[in-house]
Amino acid sequence: MKRKVMALSMAAVMAASLTACGGASSTSTTAASGDSSTSTTAASGDTTTAAASGDQVNLKICWWGNQIRNDVTKKAVDLYMSQNPNVKIDIEFTDWSGYWDKLSAMAAGGNLPDIIQMDYSYLNQYQKSSQLADLTPYLEDGTIDHSKIPDSIIESGSIDGKCYALSLGSNAPVMVYDKAITDEAGVTIPEQPTIEELYEIGNTIYEKTEVKTYYDGGINMMQIVARGNGSHLFDEIAANTVDSLAKHFAYVEQFNTAEAAISPDLLAEKNPDLVETKPIIDSTTWNDFSFSNQFVSIVNAAGRDLAVCMYPQAEDATTQPMYLKPSQFFSIAETSQNKEEAAKFLNWFTNDVDCNKILLGERGVPVNTEVAEAIKGDLDANTQLVFDYVTSVGEIATPIDAPDPAGKGEIEALGKTKVEDLRYGDGTAEEIATSFLAEANKILTEAAQ
Amino acid sequence: MSKPTNAPKKTLAQKLNQENIAGYIFILPFIIGFLAFLALPMLMSFGFSFTRYNILESPTFIGIQNYIEMFTNDAKFLKSFGVTLYYAFFSVPLRLIMALLVAMLLVKSTKLSGFYRAVYYLPSIIGSSVAVAILWKRMWASDGVINALLNAIGIPCDLAWLGRQDTAIWTLIILAVWQFGSSMLIFLSGLKQIPVSLYESATVDGANGIQRFFKITLPMLTPTIFFNLINQLINGFMAFTQSYIITQGKPRDSTLFYTVYMYQNSFTYNKLGYGCALAWFMTLFVALLTLILFKTQNKWVYYESER
Repeated sequence: MKRKVMALSMAAVMAASLTACGGASSTSTTAASGDSSTSTTAASGDTTTAAASGDQVNLKICWWGNQIRNDVTKKAVDLYMSQNPNVKIDIEFTDWSGYWDKLSAMAAGGNLPDIIQMDYSYLNQYQKSSQLADLTPYLEDGTIDHSKIPDSIIESGSIDGKCYALSLGSNAPVMVYDKAITDEAGVTIPEQPTIEELYEIGNTIYEKTEVKTYYDGGINMMQIVARGNGSHLFDEIAANTVDSLAKHFAYVEQFNTAEAAISPDLLAEKNPDLVETKPIIDSTTWNDFSFSNQFVSIVNAAGRDLAVCMYPQAEDATTQPMYLKPSQFFSIAETSQNKEEAAKFLNWFTNDVDCNKILLGERGVPVNTEVAEAIKGDLDANTQLVFDYVTSVGEIATPIDAPDPAGKGEIEALGKTKVEDLRYGDGTAEEIATSFLAEANKILTEAAQ
Repeated sequence: MSKPTNAPKKTLAQKLNQENIAGYIFILPFIIGFLAFLALPMLMSFGFSFTRYNILESPTFIGIQNYIEMFTNDAKFLKSFGVTLYYAFFSVPLRLIMALLVAMLLVKSTKLSGFYRAVYYLPSIIGSSVAVAILWKRMWASDGVINALLNAIGIPCDLAWLGRQDTAIWTLIILAVWQFGSSMLIFLSGLKQIPVSLYESATVDGANGIQRFFKITLPMLTPTIFFNLINQLINGFMAFTQSYIITQGKPRDSTLFYTVYMYQNSFTYNKLGYGCALAWFMTLFVALLTLILFKTQNKWVYYESER
């Protein structure tokens, strides 16, 4: 009998650990600086040196990103620490989806990093729940010098007249394509193709080269289609209007039933959410969709030259859908013990030429116009291409949608599910659009509570 | 040692010297860990399961609405629960059969048996790691090593195993079966405890190998099987990494494990209250399942000591 009791209690403990288990196995690395360890060793021998360099300050920075961003940001942080021996900066990075999971868990525990890389789509939510420090005092007293930064950039990170996030660069949606393949097929990609043109071009390319076409069913494409209709995706969802959604899902269906387009099986396997596994990387497709600051890392992952054009728009679009977006921000956590020091780092990160010569516009075109000019000569061909692309989008761009409402993450996931339903043939475009709208509307209403 | 009834009061040092006090001190680290990192979070999650809690703001009490929502208005809850049941009910028996087979092969002591045991145990240590998950993903890709092997032996195949709804879950089940090592070790020790005399007398009576297996080995092994079954079943319901890393629930949620859905709700959609409610449902379900298994053990588990 003793054995039974023993086994039962063991089983209970094991079952219990189910609820308590919430650990994410997201890939992250924490890097400590080599410099600070040497400076502490020095301090133990000679206390005056340590005193001269001021009190030791610890900062922590988190960001999402790819390999290039991780490498260059780490290098920039190391440079800052060598210039400011009293500051020790811990860094932590993950991929995009793991990042927000991690950040919300950190926020729940009240231990957000001092400096947070923030995205336009999450800014509202974090500001509303008072997680972010107001940067306005630092902008006013010059801790963060914004004399060379356009006011519109500061505004893009402001809510109700107070700045909570400092934009790190400008960005635009982009379609990436493999010029070697389009040349081989003898087609030219217009600067801004229509979706109908993309379909035709895809067919020609498949005939000539057997390389498939990728059509994005994601939330960015939904927004582009809605913007082309002169409205905004989240406004339409809130108003229960199906117009743009019906159009979007009809396009997805059209591409899905075409032999020239990538099959849903292959797409699920490849996972276009990650740069390294995008189907364009191994030439399964000749095109892909992304944001301009991802271009360099896509080229790196592919190991060959690629080209860019604007997102395709509907043939009957009434409004120019292209827009510029702050690629990402740095925010300071309200809970940070060292806001002043964090602000100093932000100032250095945006305004220092040496720092930006390391970063080389990886986060988008630098917001400080003088810095952008100063690093131009150091850019490689691909980064230069991105800079030129962002400039050309800037000439025609219409204003960006308002920051996304709460519930966006769930709606984005819902969109993926619905697009998969459609791709695997579980309903017509019309049915899927209607059910997506109903569910998205519900999510939006609940999230607003 | 018997003590006189009217002994003088013990000093503090004497009190501390008592055997059970020493015992408590030795298990204190575990008790503290259990209370702080298991009991308390569990209680808190139980509380949160009755709230709407987006992590960033403080929770609002909403009664049992999360539980109502789960059963009346959440197709994904049912889907992920079904997927997890499917996964557990295929992977656990297959893993146990595999473990028992290999254990039977390795039970005879030879020069290399230690080496083989270590080799077969290895997957269960590393099997649920992120690295193996990524390796697995590459192996089953349409241009991966599995298809290459199939082609090499003359079966032309370019299936996207992970992209098809009917095959994706099976790649995860095979991964689980491959991690049979820990059950295998437990079976090995169980096998060694069966008295050799039983086999000897059976052989004298003319029983063949198959008869010996079903009449002696299997019945004598039922307590071990029972332990492994419960253990692995709970593990099966808790599986997370495989789905999270290899398939992200794709395609069409056909590999969306319950734990992954719970995680998505809690941290991706910021609906921690709902996530906690999901967790508690699974806890109760597993507890119930375990209880039922314990109730049935009289029917099939043979404890030598009880006869």
